[in-house]
Amino acid sequence: MSGDRKISNRYAPFQKRIRVAAVLISAAFLILLLRLWALQILEGDRLLLLSLNNRLRLRPVEAPRGLIFDRNGDPMVENLASFDLYATPEDMPDVEETTHRLAEILQFSPDELRQRIAQRQGSQLQPVLLRKGVDGRTVTAIEEHKIDLPGVSLQVRPVRAYPNGGSAATLLGYVTEVSQAQLKSKEFRDFRPGETMGQAGIERRYDAFIRGVDGGDQVEVDALGKINRLIQRVEPQSGFNLHLTLDNRLQRVAEQALQGKSGALIAVHPSTGEILAMVSQPSYDPNQFSEHMTLEQWHRLIADPRHPMQNKGLQGQYAPGSIFKLVTALAALEKGAIHPETTFSCNGSFSLGSHLFHDWKKGGHGTLDLRQAIANSCNIYFYNTALKTGIEEITRVARELGLGAPSGFGLGSEARGVIPSSTTRPPEVGGWYPGNTVMAGIGQGMVTVTPIQAVMMVSAIANGGTLYRPWVVRKVETLDRELIEEYGSERIRRVNIDPDNLAIVREGMQAVVSEGTGSRAKIPGLRVAGKTGTAQVVENGGSQRGDQRDHAWFVGFAPADNPQIAIAVVVEHGGFGGQVAAPIARSLLEAWFQLPKEQQPVQTAESEPTEGD
Amino acid sequence: MLIPRRVLPVLDWRLVASAAGLAALSVLIIYSTSGMHASLFRRSLYLKQAIWVVMGLSAMILLCLVPYRTTWSLAYPLYAFLLIALVLVALTGRTGLGAQRWLSIGSFAFQPSEFMKLSLIILLARYFEDRKEELCAPRIFIVPILLTLLPTVFVLRQPDLGTAIMLLLICASILAVMGLKIRYFVLVGAVGSAVAPVLWNFLHDYQKNRVLVLMYPDMDPMGVGYHVAQSKIAVGSGGVIGKGWMAATQSQLNFLPENHTDFIFAGLAEQWGFIGSLGLLLIYAYLLSRGLRLAKDAHDLFTMITSFGIVSMMAWQVVINIGMVTGIMPVVGIPLPLLSYGGSSMLVNMLAVGLLLNLHKHRYLY
Repeated sequence: MSGDRKISNRYAPFQKRIRVAAVLISAAFLILLLRLWALQILEGDRLLLLSLNNRLRLRPVEAPRGLIFDRNGDPMVENLASFDLYATPEDMPDVEETTHRLAEILQFSPDELRQRIAQRQGSQLQPVLLRKGVDGRTVTAIEEHKIDLPGVSLQVRPVRAYPNGGSAATLLGYVTEVSQAQLKSKEFRDFRPGETMGQAGIERRYDAFIRGVDGGDQVEVDALGKINRLIQRVEPQSGFNLHLTLDNRLQRVAEQALQGKSGALIAVHPSTGEILAMVSQPSYDPNQFSEHMTLEQWHRLIADPRHPMQNKGLQGQYAPGSIFKLVTALAALEKGAIHPETTFSCNGSFSLGSHLFHDWKKGGHGTLDLRQAIANSCNIYFYNTALKTGIEEITRVARELGLGAPSGFGLGSEARGVIPSSTTRPPEVGGWYPGNTVMAGIGQGMVTVTPIQAVMMVSAIANGGTLYRPWVVRKVETLDRELIEEYGSERIRRVNIDPDNLAIVREGMQAVVSEGTGSRAKIPGLRVAGKTGTAQVVENGGSQRGDQRDHAWFVGFAPADNPQIAIAVVVEHGGFGGQVAAPIARSLLEAWFQLPKEQQPVQTAESEPTEGD
Repeated sequence: MLIPRRVLPVLDWRLVASAAGLAALSVLIIYSTSGMHASLFRRSLYLKQAIWVVMGLSAMILLCLVPYRTTWSLAYPLYAFLLIALVLVALTGRTGLGAQRWLSIGSFAFQPSEFMKLSLIILLARYFEDRKEELCAPRIFIVPILLTLLPTVFVLRQPDLGTAIMLLLICASILAVMGLKIRYFVLVGAVGSAVAPVLWNFLHDYQKNRVLVLMYPDMDPMGVGYHVAQSKIAVGSGGVIGKGWMAATQSQLNFLPENHTDFIFAGLAEQWGFIGSLGLLLIYAYLLSRGLRLAKDAHDLFTMITSFGIVSMMAWQVVINIGMVTGIMPVVGIPLPLLSYGGSSMLVNMLAVGLLLNLHKHRYLY
């Protein structure tokens, strides 16, 4: 025993140090325990949340957008399947070889593919997008060589498609992914990055109806982003379909008629305000936006001096030229400044003070009454008439007929146009001169109108004095044809103009086509009423050459005694309205009246057949 | 040789139970975290581990029966054998995970570096036992340091930073207990800091990154920091009582790479929460306390140093491993004793416990 004791004594310093080691180990364990306490108890909830986020992903499933049909049920906007090309590096036994082969088959640059794969973020298992919206040839090639291309896959994605290309593009609008700038604004706070939305026209205005409700897959993923299983699926709800008042066939005829020109054409039903066709040329192809548009393409579009993105029917402001003579005539009749039989003599010029105003016809028209003056669009007659009437009444009638104010169409920004009044030119700039009145009387000088205003004005004249709000969406339906919303014609006002005076002007408009400047709009067997206009772009006679030629106008309706369609055409720098715009209107009318009866516009209580001329 | 009938009553059955319990836990965690979505290879890991556990337990009991002197006499030959093995690994070893650590003998692959830890402990124990009369002389510490540095160099070259650090820590711990003055450690620390910038350049980039990530945990959340971030999420999301058996989503869904080896603790902490973590620490604490008691009550230096060496080896591994899984230590690749997947590690730790049992048994016989 004493030996034992001796040994213990000898080892006493070691035993002491072992006790110290035991204390140190205990301290280290205590630190571990405190750390675990901090992580599992203090931070447990936060880290649990993180672990759930780690594990669950919401994969949005985009709802297909609603379709857009014309008045006859022809699809104007639909959805097509687009194929995106992906590569999953993890599934490629030999990335180098596969990219090489892929590049060969698709005639892509192998460097581009390699770069794309190299740029990938995240894990090897996450597919890398190589190309968006590959063409049919590529899809076929990939399917054919599937065995040689491990890790290469195609994914289907619905894209917005406009089967008629640029037809009615500015009216229908286009769809793109919501932009970074939009995402930052409050209006788009419900949007997530990458979501598509309507960016213009009907697509934009009715986006809430069309877009539907996106669904989603809640999936469990592993650390590499690989989906293990679907936990829950919320089916997307397709967007609502729109039915338009537009007539696809008429629209295409109108597009054709304006092909290669710059300008606008609007056809409406005069007794309802339904838009039957709306063309703005040149146009753009909204399909470009559905697929990824290159920056170069975009720059080319917005830099085009002919403004293909602009809806000239709503935003183009043009001097109305002679079509404004309808307003002057009505104002004069309203005021009693003239009556239908009042004649003026036209020898080709008109002097006011030191100014000499010219007629468009050298040598003049001789003596004419109101009907002949409208028919021949005699400037001298309307100089006299305007002067006798005064700017106040002209302004009143113009405003009564909806000029100088937005039509209320409500799609995109609409220009107001300008209807000058005596206060338009304040004393500081010399005040309002009789010369200004003379110029306004023939739709020159300061007057500007938009094509939509022009067509609504003509409609009011045609239908006996009711100004309607133009509209284009007839109804909103679900996929199962359940009605969500239906729209009808909306009367803005009964214009404060004597219907007899309107009848007189209509008579003059018939003469325009039957024997006057608009004879190129004449159609055998159809009584067409119209008015031509040639709006000066350059003052003092203007030039008939090149891009400085006058704007050619034609407004009209048919049949004259029971108007079914009203038209406004403006061709920028087209030249004479009678030569350029009237034939366009004619081809449109021909097309419209060849259509079967049941496709005629809906008659509403408001549509009153006007008394015959 | 003693017959088992005489041995059994003096076996430290609680120590056996602790080791067997940890090993069983290891199989359970590996089974539960190698989820249904894992590859066939991963799913079979728990079976392989179970085989290692059985082999380890058998080795432990066998070692327990070996006479005291046998271990003592094997100290130098074993060290020499493993050193040669390490050299062979450097020359021919099998490459796994970018490092040469395994040596194949027939169809049996083992990591000499793992066994070197235990061999070094026995070697140092014998060395000091042999010189117990001259312990006061500082020069006596020079040879042990050299004997440690020699294998460390080869282990570091594999590269296996974790095991190299373990060899140094085991040696340092034993020298400290043997009375090497604190000032020498301070001196080594000072010299170490001085040459650290030079050594830093010898580190592999991933090793540098691991150290940097410890200092700046948010440095690289998707790269190196990913490990630590994910293991903290796994551990923390276990909360107080854990997500339950087989519900360790973070570990199962591979958010945690290496979740069956160095990061196995995260799988336990996620499934059984703070309660489970505390339980595990208590088992380790118990196991270590048995070893410390044996060291303290030892009647000879060999027993004392061997048992203390084993305690220090396990304690360092537990502290560093759980420290790195919970993000307070750098990720250096040190397995959790008796828990992490791996045959060599399991065998070595079982043998270590077996050695403790052997020493414990002899405590009564001397």
